This record gives sequence, C-alpha cells and structure tokens, in this order.
Amino acid sequence: MALTWRAVALAALGVVAVLVVPSYGTVLLWALVVVALCVLDVMLAASPRQVAVERRVPGSVRLTGRATSQLVVTNLTGRRLRAVVRDAWAPSAGAQANRHAVDLPPGESARLTTVLVPTRRGDRLADRVTIRSAGPLGLAARQVSLVVPGRLRVLPEFASRRHLPSRLARLREMDGRSAVQVRGEGTEFDSLREYVIGDDVRSIDWRASARRADMVVRTWRPERDRRVLLVLDTSRTSAARVGDEPRLDASIEAALLLSALAGRAGDRVELFAYDRSVRARVAGAAGPRLMPALADALAPIEPALLETDWPGLVGSVHQRLSQRALVVLLTTLDPAAVETGLLPVVGQLTAKHQVVVASVADPEVAALREARDGVAEVYDAAAAARVELERTAVRTVLSQKGVEVVEGLPEELAPRLADTYLALKAAGRL
Amino acid sequence: MTARLDAPPPPVSASASSGAPVTTSYVPVRVMGDGTTAGSRAARRWRSARWPLAVLLLVAIVAGLAALSRPAVSSTPLAPDNAGPGGARALAQVLGDQGVTVEYVTATADAVSRARAGTTLLVTSDLNLLPEQVDALLATDADLVLLEPGYDLLEGATDLSATLGDDWSSPDALRTPECTDPDAVAAESIRSSGFGFTTTGPGSLVCFPGDDSPPDTGAYLVHEGDRRVVALDDAGLLSNARIDEDGNAALALRALGRHETLTWFVPDLLDTTSTGDPAVGAAVLPPWVAVVLVQLLVVALLAALWRGRRLGPLVTEDLPVVVRAAETTRGRGRLYRRSRSRGHAAAGLRAHSADRIASRLGLPRSAAAPALIDAIVRATHRPAEQVAHLLYGPPPADDAALLELARHLDQLESEVFHP
Repeated sequence: MALTWRAVALAALGVVAVLVVPSYGTVLLWALVVVALCVLDVMLAASPRQVAVERRVPGSVRLTGRATSQLVVTNLTGRRLRAVVRDAWAPSAGAQANRHAVDLPPGESARLTTVLVPTRRGDRLADRVTIRSAGPLGLAARQVSLVVPGRLRVLPEFASRRHLPSRLARLREMDGRSAVQVRGEGTEFDSLREYVIGDDVRSIDWRASARRADMVVRTWRPERDRRVLLVLDTSRTSAARVGDEPRLDASIEAALLLSALAGRAGDRVELFAYDRSVRARVAGAAGPRLMPALADALAPIEPALLETDWPGLVGSVHQRLSQRALVVLLTTLDPAAVETGLLPVVGQLTAKHQVVVASVADPEVAALREARDGVAEVYDAAAAARVELERTAVRTVLSQKGVEVVEGLPEELAPRLADTYLALKAAGRL
Repeated sequence: MTARLDAPPPPVSASASSGAPVTTSYVPVRVMGDGTTAGSRAARRWRSARWPLAVLLLVAIVAGLAALSRPAVSSTPLAPDNAGPGGARALAQVLGDQGVTVEYVTATADAVSRARAGTTLLVTSDLNLLPEQVDALLATDADLVLLEPGYDLLEGATDLSATLGDDWSSPDALRTPECTDPDAVAAESIRSSGFGFTTTGPGSLVCFPGDDSPPDTGAYLVHEGDRRVVALDDAGLLSNARIDEDGNAALALRALGRHETLTWFVPDLLDTTSTGDPAVGAAVLPPWVAVVLVQLLVVALLAALWRGRRLGPLVTEDLPVVVRAAETTRGRGRLYRRSRSRGHAAAGLRAHSADRIASRLGLPRSAAAPALIDAIVRATHRPAEQVAHLLYGPPPADDAALLELARHLDQLESEVFHP
C-alpha cells in the first residue's frame, strides 16, 4: 500500500470544500471520501504478486565498463498493470536510472533495461525488484519487493594494459624477430644465418662458416616454456589503502600485466592467491584463454584480515612446481611482516627458483617524508624516513638471499615488474 | 589491444578457482510473487506488531489507572486544588459544601470576565500582576477579597481611603477585633504576621490591631463603597496549615461566602491578558481559519504518507577496509612528537639522507662515516666539519633546531644530487 501525489492533491481540493462549508464535519467527510477512494483504487489495482519477473545480466564486465541488466516483466493478471518497477543494485554496481514506468495490458511483457557502470571490482549482487502497481484512479498503489537473483562479476580494470605494447616490442626485439640480434639476449640456440655487418663477431659459428663460402652466425632467442608462478598475498597487509584503493588492487594490476606479457612470451603462467588457504587459482590456461581465466579468478578476491601462513604458502609453491621457475610474490615490504613471515622461509624458495618480491609503495609516505612545513611535519618526516630506511634494509636482506625486489607506486608497480621480468628473461635467469 | 578481459572464458577452462565457480553462463530465473498470501501477510504483521501493541496497551492502562486513582493536585500556593500545607483546598471544599461555587482561574482575562456584580473575586496575590491587569481587576463590579495587596491594588480598591501600614507587632500575639464589623466580631481572634493596613480617610474600617500597632492600623480592612472590599495582610490565614487556628476559618468563610459564586484568582506569572476578550490575534481572523487549518493538517498527513513510503528497501554495500597504509607511519611520527624524541627523529632524518647520498655517490651502504664525509666534501666543496656536524653531530636541542636540521639536510642532498 502506497499513496501517490494524486491522493494528496485530492485531499488538498478539500480545502475548497471546507471554504464553502466551513465545519469540521466537512473535513471528516472529505477525509472519509479520500480514504474510500484510495481503498477502492487499491482493490482495483493489478496485483504485483501476479507479475512474472525475469532477469538477464551479462556474466562479467570490466571495471569502468558498461553493462545492462534487463528485466522482463510479464503481466499475468486480468487487469491493466500501471506500475513503477525499481531494479535495485548495490551502490557500487553503479545502477543509473533504475526506476521504470510500466503500462501493460493483461498478458503482455515489457523489457526494462538498467545501465550499470560498476565502481568496484568483485561480484556485485542484484538486490530486490520492487513493483508498485497503481490503481485506475492513480490515487494509491500496491507494492511488493521480490528477490530476483542476479550477479554481475566486475573484472579488474587492467589499466596497466597500456604498458603492454611497449613491453611486447621489447620482447620481440629479444625474440630475434627484429633487426637487433646480439649474443647474450637469451641463451637458447635458435638458428644459423648469414653474417651482416654489425653482428657480434663472437657469435660467428666458425665450424658452419668453414663448410660454406659465407660467414655464418648463430642466433639466440630467449628461453620459452618457462614456468611463471604468481602468488598474490591476500592477507591483512593487502587490505591497507594505498591511494584510493586497497594494496591488493595494485598487486592485481601488476599480476595481470606480467601474465599478459609472459603469456605472449610463451611461458606457462600460473597464479594463486593465498593467505591461510588458497583463495583462487589459475593453472593450465594458455593462449587466448589465459587472460579471461585470470580476470575471472581475480575478480572476486577480497583481502582477508588474517596473517599469511608463509610456510603453508611455500609448501603450496613446492607442490605446484617440480622444476625451476620464476616465482613472483606480490606482497608487502612492511618490515615487521617480512621479518616474521617471509624471511625465515624465503631461502627454501630461492634454493630452487628465481624469486621476485613485488610490493606497492605508498605515495603518502613519500609525501610525508618531503614535508617540512612545521615541527609536527618534521616529526612525521622523521618517521617516514625511518620507515623507508627499514624498507631499504629489508630489500637489502632479501637481495642478499637472492631475491629480486621490485617496489613502486601503485601505477608504477606493474610496468616495473614487467621490466624486471624482461630483464631476467634477457639475462637468461628464468 | 591483444589482451581482452571481457571475453567470456571457454567452458573447458580448466582453471578451477577455489571461490565462486568460473562459469559465466547465466540461467535466467522467472520470479512471480514473494510467496505470501493476504492471510500470511496479515499473520506476519500481527506477529511482529503484537508485542509492541501489548506494551503500548499496558502503558495506556497504567497511565489511565494512575490518572483516575489520584485527583489532580497542584503545588501552587493558595490554589483551591492544592492539598499541601501552603494550599487552600480545605477552605475551597468547605465553601463548596456550603453551596458556594468556586471557579479557579489563573488568567486575569478569565477573572475579569467572571467577576460580575453579585459575585466575589478573591485575589490571592498581586505580585505577578501588570499595572493594566490591576486596572482591569479594579474595573470589575464584583466584591473583592484581597490577600496581601500592594499599594496600587489596595488604594485603587478603597478609593484612596486606606494604605499599607507599618505594623511591627508580634506575629504570635492574639489579636481581638476592636471594631464593629460583624465578620471580625464573629471571628473573635486571629494572629497575623503582616504589616497591617492604615486608614487615611472615611469609608474604610480596620480591625485586629496588634499589640504594638500605630493608630488606625489593623490586620483586617473592610471598605464599603459601590462594592464591599475586604483585605487581609496575611495570606497564610487561608492556608491548609493555619485555617483551623483561632478564628481564621470563620473570618475566611464569612469573607468569601458572601455570594453564591466565588472566583478564585491565583495570578500566573506568564499571564499577560488583561481584558475579558479572547486573544487579540485570533479575534481578527475569520471563523473558518481553524477548520481550514485542520484540513491542511490532513493534507500534510497524507503528503507525509506519500513521501514516507519507500520504493523498496535500502541496499547496503559491504565496504572495503578504509585504513590507510600510511597510518602506521603517522602514528610513529605522533609518538616521536609526544615523547619529544628529537634525538630519534634527527637520527632517522640523518640516516636517511646519508643513505641516499651514499647510494648517489656510489658508496656501499656499509661505508664508514669518514669515507662518506670525504665523498660529500669532494662533491659539494663544503667544509668537512660542517658536513660532519650536519650528518653526525649532536641531537638538536629543541624543535626549531630539528626543523633547521631537516632543512639543512635537504639542502645538502640537493647539492649532491644537482651539483
């Protein structure tokens, strides 16, 4: 039961009647008339409980992309349905203009489209569909809220994909398809070709040259079919906000860029997200299937307010990998967390694999360290300087254990990690 | 672009994720109704509303019983419904039993409108009355009984034939009438703690002089003119506490019971009315205004119902964590500040600058202080003592020195980085 503005207007018309016959009886009589008309209108309205609602939602959409939620409303009553239908979504689903006016004769259907522009990664759930069916007089309405399930998976934005073309170009240069072809770029023997001026003389294959009249050089290409394992730390340290989003989101961006690059380089990419158990895993996907599988697996990951189980994580890595691989740990360089968690076990990883630790730096700390406006700011700057010193110390300790450390501001981390990967690949350290 | 995220993964995607299933194929569900009937909804509403309703009903019953079981009493002094020692309910009840209609008013306008000729008007006090209210009371035709009146009221009521006295007689002394007024004679004796009234002209009569009274002064005054005016200099005579003492009851009953109707006026501090007319603002409005206002109230109620009904419930958002990563750093800065750890703060700033400069100049992190100082001196051409003092000097003495040190370190760094 809900009133409309017409009921209010009808009651306001009563002022005229009261002016004509100024008595309290008129007021009472008019109120009774309004109530009676409203009740009559409600009884004549089409029942919203006999309206069939069907929802169609696309499976997934990339963050900042547009999706549409469609409702098919069918009037199964014997009366004309004059209704307002609200397609409610959680605020972060970004539903725009989700109230639709419907005027349906008996037995007919209408398709209502709500545009969704999600503002957060993850699974966005549809809330209720509310139908407010007004009577023929438009004075009052019947209302019901129905649970019509729907889920929109909002994939990571992958804003770092703009760095991909330049990194792929670098990869092609290394791959021997471009003119630059010098010894040392990669370690896998590829083919023999004629010497051209500018080639490294150390690449000349004398034995092959002796068999032919021309000078022949060996070409090299980077290794292929190496394994790259990305491990996303989803523990409490990933929940802290850096800039406007959790640290985890910047890690996901970096993981996506590295995966895209490594996938194109011919390496086998695996990923799992871990805090005290495996939260998401992508394995065995390659080629065009890799990125959608990664995005789909990473979309619903949320930071858990738990401490990472590092021995368990290392156990999982050993379980996944039987041969040497590149293990990329997307975590934090928070000194306390590293000293108690990662440092004691990182030796087990570096003994067998090439380990890269990637961490998001906080621009706010950098800004704090630069501030010199007053005494309070100087104390903050001193604290920030101390924090950075401790992080530097942690980096040094990790480097001494054979770990490559990559640190960058949220938007810098992804390209830096990609560059590190390319450098490792070029040096044949994968 | 080569990497497409929004393409749906193929169904054979072996990437088993531990969370929600990877499938994106969506089976639309057709929903009709919320599974309730009119009966079940009514039952549910009744179930959810019955306990609050029961509590409300209980409160209403208790309040009603309390209102019924206890008569309305007030704490206003000398009010006819005040049963306390300072009230006058005893007197009012006896008057009622004797057939006098007691009308209790607190507004001057009400008192004036009721005080017709042939009635009695009791004014228990004139402390709260405005001059125009006093004038309005004096303009009435009713017989007046004044308790502890002020100059204006007394002299106005007695046509200037009496004024306030200056009687310092003992309040405990029993007084006798010493006059011919039948009421006073009937009362025989009273005790009074007032300052008495003094006659200044013909028409007024005073009774009950004290043991130490000036001439023509007494606690009780009668003025017979167009109407009868009686004044008592001690209002306490009428109170519940003292009405049964001496001849108080006889005096009060005879003074107040002279007519069938008694208007019992206890002036209210907040009352500003002075005439029998109703409120001036309402008087100029046409009579239908009140009815239209009621109708507008109905309209407002309907408008509230119209706007108050929400189109479906609010949707909640499970918010992510809002703790900023830099909070720990800020907290550390605050700790330094609160404990005035200038030494720690300065050491942190110096170590960080030394670390940055060392890496810039190609020195290892483990380089000793003299090596670093030498390198800086070579890079910046500053005196070695100055550099040593800046990087390895004593901790600053106060906050200003700390700020100064931070700025000097910045300058040193900029000289090393941009020579």
